This record gives sequence, C-alpha cells and structure tokens, in this order.
Amino acid sequence: MEPALELTGVGKTFGEVRALDAVDLTVRAGEVHCVLGENGAGKSTLCNLVFGSAALDEGEMRLYGAPYRPRRPAEALRLGVAMVHQHFSLVPELTVGENLLLAERARLRPPDLTGRVKAIEEEYGLAVDLAAPVAGLPVGERQSVEIVKCLLRDPRLLLLDEPTAVLGPAEVRALLATCRRVAETGRAVVLVTHKLGEVERAGDAATVLRGGKVAGSGPLAGFSRDELVRLMVGRELADLDPLLAAGLDATEAPAPRTPRETAGEPVARLRGLRLRSDHGPDVLDGVDLELRAGEIVGVAGVEGNGQSELVAVLSGALSADEGVFELDGVDLTRAAPAVRTAAGLGVIPEDRHHEGCVTGMSVAENLFLGRLREFRRFGLLDRKAMRAGAARAVAEHGIRASGPDAPLHTLSGGNQQKVVVARELALDPLRLLIAAQPTRGLDIGAVDAVLTRVRDAAARGAAVLVVSSELAELLTLCDRVMVAYRGRLLGPVAPDAPGARDEIGKLMLGAAT
Amino acid sequence: MRRDLLVYGGAVLVAVLVGLALAAGGGAAPDVAGRALWDGMFGSPYAFGSALNTTAVLALIATGFTIAHRAGLVNVGGEGQMALGGIAATAVGVSLPAGTPAVLALTALLIAGFAGGALWAGVAAWLRVRRGVNEVITTLLLNFVGLCLVLLAVHEEALLRQPVTSADTLPQSEPLVEAARLPLLGPPESPATIAIVLAAVSVIVAALLLRHTATGTRLTAVGMSEPAAARLGLPVGRLQAGSLAVAGGLAGVAGATLIATVPYVLAEHFTSGYGFTGLVVGLLARGSLTAVAGISLAFGLLASGGINLQLAAGVPAASVQVVQSVLIICVAGAVIFRKGAAR
Ligand SMILES: Nc1ncnc2c1ncn2[C@@H]1O[C@H](COP(=O)(O)OP(=O)(O)OP(=O)(O)O)[C@@H](O)[C@H]1O
Ligand SMILES: [Mg+2]
Repeated sequence: MEPALELTGVGKTFGEVRALDAVDLTVRAGEVHCVLGENGAGKSTLCNLVFGSAALDEGEMRLYGAPYRPRRPAEALRLGVAMVHQHFSLVPELTVGENLLLAERARLRPPDLTGRVKAIEEEYGLAVDLAAPVAGLPVGERQSVEIVKCLLRDPRLLLLDEPTAVLGPAEVRALLATCRRVAETGRAVVLVTHKLGEVERAGDAATVLRGGKVAGSGPLAGFSRDELVRLMVGRELADLDPLLAAGLDATEAPAPRTPRETAGEPVARLRGLRLRSDHGPDVLDGVDLELRAGEIVGVAGVEGNGQSELVAVLSGALSADEGVFELDGVDLTRAAPAVRTAAGLGVIPEDRHHEGCVTGMSVAENLFLGRLREFRRFGLLDRKAMRAGAARAVAEHGIRASGPDAPLHTLSGGNQQKVVVARELALDPLRLLIAAQPTRGLDIGAVDAVLTRVRDAAARGAAVLVVSSELAELLTLCDRVMVAYRGRLLGPVAPDAPGARDEIGKLMLGAAT
Repeated sequence: MRRDLLVYGGAVLVAVLVGLALAAGGGAAPDVAGRALWDGMFGSPYAFGSALNTTAVLALIATGFTIAHRAGLVNVGGEGQMALGGIAATAVGVSLPAGTPAVLALTALLIAGFAGGALWAGVAAWLRVRRGVNEVITTLLLNFVGLCLVLLAVHEEALLRQPVTSADTLPQSEPLVEAARLPLLGPPESPATIAIVLAAVSVIVAALLLRHTATGTRLTAVGMSEPAAARLGLPVGRLQAGSLAVAGGLAGVAGATLIATVPYVLAEHFTSGYGFTGLVVGLLARGSLTAVAGISLAFGLLASGGINLQLAAGVPAASVQVVQSVLIICVAGAVIFRKGAAR
C-alpha cells in the first residue's frame, strides 16, 4: 500500500537559517509516526510545510500517492490533513461549540454538530462540552477541543505538534490513547514530542531530526532508548542528569537523589494569601509558605487548583485580596513588578507568549528589556554592547538563533523558552526564583541544562519555587513538594520518602494528610 | 525597501491616472489639468511655499501619531489637539508685551501650543491608563469638544474675540503681536515659514528617539505586548500616557504654526481638517518616519496643486481628495496583499 505521507528531499530556508535540509520521511497509514529532535531541529517547520502554513523551497511531497503541495492550510484541510499547533488557536471568548463551527465554516449546521461530536466521543472516547466557554477551560480540555476540531473533518493525516507539553500525566495518557485509536482506524498520525516515554507508549515508527537533517528513521522496535537520545541530542543517556532518565517518562520511579543541606535563613514568606473570584470559591484560599535560602520547593497539583494564580500574585500580575508576601523582610504584596525585580525576584511565567517575552522584538531586546539603563551611551542605546551581551547569553544557554538581532518569533518554541530562562537567571542578586513550567517545550538536553542551572542558583543562596505538571521533575529537583488543591497548599511531602508519589497523588485529590 | 518604493510608486501612478480621468470628466483636457496641477505645486514660489507650510502641519501631526502608535495607541484626536494648541498659542501671542524679543515670543508661543495639545491628549491618556477607556473613542470625541472651544473662544469677547466695533467685526481673535509671528524662510514671494524646519527637526528627533534610545525600545515593547512589558517592570501606564501626550503636543504645535502664519489670527475652522489628513499620513507611513516625511510632502503638494486645479482648469478641488483616497486604498491594499504573500 502507498504511504500516507511521503517527503523526498524536502528543504526550507528562512533567511540564513537552513531549517530543513534534504529531509526524507515516510509515514504509513495506520501508524503513529513520532518526529523527534532537539529544540530548533525543524519539527514545527516540517509540520507547517505539510499543513501548508509555510511553503517548501525544494523537494516534493506525496499524500496517499498523489503529488501534494498545499499553498495554504485550507487546501491541506480539504485534502484531509489536519493539525494541532504548538500554541493554542481557539478563540477564548467563544464557546467550544462556536469554536468548532467556526473551524467548519458553512459545512456544518449546529444541529449536525452535536451528532458528529457524539460520534467522535463514541469512537475515540473524547468528550467535550459544547456549551462551555473556552476561556474557562483547563489547558487539557482545550487540547481535547483542538483534537476534536481536527477529527470533525475526518482527516486522513493528523499532525500533532507537541500536544503533550502543556498536559498533566492523566491527560497525556488520554491523548496518547486517542492517537492510537486514530491510527487503528487506518489513518496516519504524526506526533512531535520531546518525551521518550510517550514515544515508546504510542509510537510505531520514528524520525529523528538534527539541525534540519534526518539523523535516523525507522520502526521504533529498531531503536533502543539510548540510541534515540544519542540521535536526538548527540549525548549519551548516562551523561545526562539521572533525574532526566526519570523525566523521560512521568510514570516511572525517579532515580534516587542525594539529599542536600538546605536549612538556610528564611528568604521569602507568604502568609494567608487570598484571591477572590467573582463566581465560585476563592481561587487562593489562604496560602502560607516559607522559603529558605538554597531551598527548592515544588508545587504539584492538577491544573486549575490555584497554582497559576499563585504565580501571578507573586509576580505582580494579579493583586491579592488578603495576605502578605515578603522577600527579605520587605513587603512586596502590592509592589510593582519593577520593585519586585529590584528586590531579587525572578519569574519564569507559565505562558511565555502572553507575558514571558515580546515575540516581535529581537533576542537581545528580550534579554535586556528590563535593564536598558545599563546599555546607555551618550543618552543613546548602546546596541553594540547589547548585541555582545546577548551573544554571550546565546552561547552560554545554547540558544539556537540566527543571531542576537533575530526577532523572537523566528526562534523555535523551545529556544524562546531558553531566552526567558536565561533572562531570569541572569538577575543579580537573585533571591527568589519562581519557575512555572520552566522546562515546557524543552528538549531533554535543554531540560538537563535548566535543571542544573536552577540547582546552581539554589546553591548560590536563592530560594526557588517550582510549579510544574511534571511530577518526576519535581520529585528529583525539589527538597519538598507541596500540592495545590482548591486554592490551598497541602503537604509538604519529602520527595525521597518511600511512597512519595502515591502520597502526592492522594493529596492531588484532596485527601487529608 | 525596494519593495516599499515600488508600492508607493505604483500607488502614485494609479492615483495620477485616476486624477487625469477625473479631470477629463470635469471637462478639462488632460494636458491642461496636468499643467494646472503642476503649476499649483511647483509653478510659483507662492504655490511651493504654501505647499511647504501644509507639509509642516501634516508632518508634525503624523510624527506624533507615529510615536503614540509605537506604544500601541491610536491617536485620532489630532484635530482637537490642534484646536487647543491654537487657542493656547493665540492666548500667549496676543497678550505678549510689544517689546518682547522674537526668540522669546516664538518659544513661548510654541510651548503654549505644545502644552495645549498635550493637555487635551492628556485627558484621553488619563482615561485610558486609569480607567481603561479606549483612546480611539476618547480622542475622537474630544475633537468635537476642541472645535467647539475654538468657536467659543472667537465668539466671546471675554475670551479671545477681538473688540467688537461694528456689526461686521469678524468673529476672530486680534492678530498676534509682531514678535510672535513665524519668520519667513526667505525666498521672495514665498509664504514658507520656518514651520517646515521645525517639522523636519521633529521628524529627525522622533526617528532618533524611536530607534536609538532606551525609551524608544520600551515604547515598542509596550506596544507589542503590554503584559510582557509590565512583567519586565516597564512603567507601562507612564509610557503610554507620555507618548499620547507628546502626540497631542506635536499636534498642538502644528496648531500654533497655523496661528502664527498669515493672517495671524485665531478664526473658526482654522484647523481645516488637517488633523484628520495628518492621521491618514500617519496610518499610511506605517511607523516609518521617513515615510511620514515623504507622504506629508506629497499631500502638501497635492493640496496646493488641487487649489490651482480648480482656479486654472475649473476642475473641482474635491477631485484631489478623490485622488488622495485612491492613494490610500492602493497603499493599504498593497500592504494587505504583501502580508498574504510573505510566507
Ligand atoms: N519564520 C522564521 N524565520 C526565521 N527562522 C525561522 C522561522 N521559523 C523557524 N525558524 C528557524 O528554523 C529552525 C527550526 O525551527 P522549528 O520551529 O521547526 O524547530 P522545532 O524543531 O519545532 O523546535 P522546538 O522543539 O523548540 O519547537 C530554527 O532554527 C528556527 O530558528
Ligand atoms: Mg516546535
């Protein structure tokens, strides 16, 4: 039988960046084909070419045997290709049903929609509430809506660009099950991910990209885990932090960690932080926490239990209705972000496109936007010094960009995240680092680097608060793990205690300690 | 860059063709109409000089628009801000003592104009930053209030109206004192004042500010992403309010230059819609101050050419407005077209 999708000698160049170079790819019908590779390897670009949102420069594509060259996404959709993007594309002000109809334009009338959605629910076990407004949905459910949106068109080929980066473990399992079911109905799925555990659970075959070229390709049975890691990031699995081996798969037990001396002096204190909501119970319901110098505290929990709001209150994006947040004895509860930064508070925000960076500005500008004063010469901006500083950070953090002047939107998702991390870690003095999903969208090499840096920051005397949906990451990185549940922090759980994982699992469901 | 020139060049070509067709429809032979238009632009020192004066007004307003637009704000209140700038400038210009040195008088006049416009935009800025009211609506509505204030000022003797001596005393202010009038540039018979120099300096300073200073970079960040800028500790409210106030201030200066050229009085409708034309210039320039300078000059020339078109060839001056609209549609269309193609 003809392959569902066949790429031969595909190349794509952006300015001076060779994003894809002579790429061959064969995806068979009925298989989940994983596309792997480090940040900036060209995975998103590959998906965009197939979906028609970018035009290829050379090479050719075939879809179920027929020559295929979509000039825009509408054309790809018509030919049965659907895609879930790395960043969300729903309209938050509308309901789920309206969003689905919007995507379908005139092809579907509201009464028919209910039937079609019902059929999808039966076939794939994917339930969505058509009447719910998208704005109020947790990310996991939004992702389901995105997938239902694709399935409505009954695609022959489904492209998923890092769909699991924003999901918790249970949601990841559900999504992977959906992938399998789609493939079993004879369709083809292309799945982009950084997590080897997912590859092993859902994939049939894999193609690994490195620097825009194919580093290896074939059925998964032919690859060992070590081999895949070597192909992806060019390093041995054993060289990476032992916790990474665990981080590859959220269901595995973490490697034993060496306990660190922590009890430094208290750095930050949160007392009775409360944030009311216009409808329903308080989003933050009296959060108390003390963070000591050199300590890394994790916050686990099912999405929507107040952890995002806690980060927003601490970073100054939202203002608490009650309670106190102190850093080094200074009350920062109502302080402006600039004051917080000056006091030594670094924040890696959860939604990098919303408040982490300005995608229209260059790497250098994004790195130094809060510190422009240091780059003034004769009253003008010393761009040369900025460029030099940025070049240093780019090299140190392994950011793949065409240069310090490259606009951030030309960087791959993972590299944008690296810019944000680099900026916040460069704060001097760094007293408290708040990291929300700091490794979201990073390849395993980069995750390793970020975790090492976070540990270094703690070793130098900063307190660290990590909010993450990666349980394994928390267990191996943190000195204690709190669990967010309905606006409160439960715990702590000592990560090295036996049964820590089960304990956290229970707390997530609200069981008392 | 070359593509940009192509776009603007093509737009001008289409506009000229449409203009010629209109002229033919109006009963004028193309060569006659063309000659009349040309004479109105470059034919005499008078024509070219008045084109330069208009250019200065448009460039000042469009420069302000561009600065505020960099911070993500759309200032459609140029007309009202000009009005307030003009009122303030008149108040200063008619009440200065006779012996004031010209340098002092002019500085006072321009500062008053700037302050008047900035204050008027400041109302909208305050509402936007403190109350979150959309500045497009407030600046637009403040235009009408501003224009009414001009009417009030020139009709009330207690305000700026010249003393009423007979039934046909015009509702306008007294003429400015000699020292507060903008000096002419020099060429004989040319009405061109130093306003064009002022405008050129503003354009250059604004270009430097936006491109090469920390403030310019901060404004860009605020314009592109308010939440990220706030997260990084930039004073978002202050930057927005400041940029809108400067936009208003520059429109106010434009109003002041209108008052300080012949006939040196504040009169009803002295703003003559320049605020809106300046807005169009700003929109077409799409953030580039080089384009602001070029388009202002083109519009200034077209305005003065249009007057002559009517006088010499009998073609209604409104056809120049049609030509301007065609220009706008062409440039805007080309922009949309290129956005679609750039993948
Ligand atoms: N519009 C663009 N302009 C210039 N360069 C671009 C553009 N889009 C992508 N690139 C470059 O192409 C390369 C591949 O990017 P791509 O987004 O495909 O990476 P990726 O494999 O999806 O990475 P990630 O895992 O971080 O999402 C990167 O080096 C990136 O900087
Ligand atoms: Mg990507």
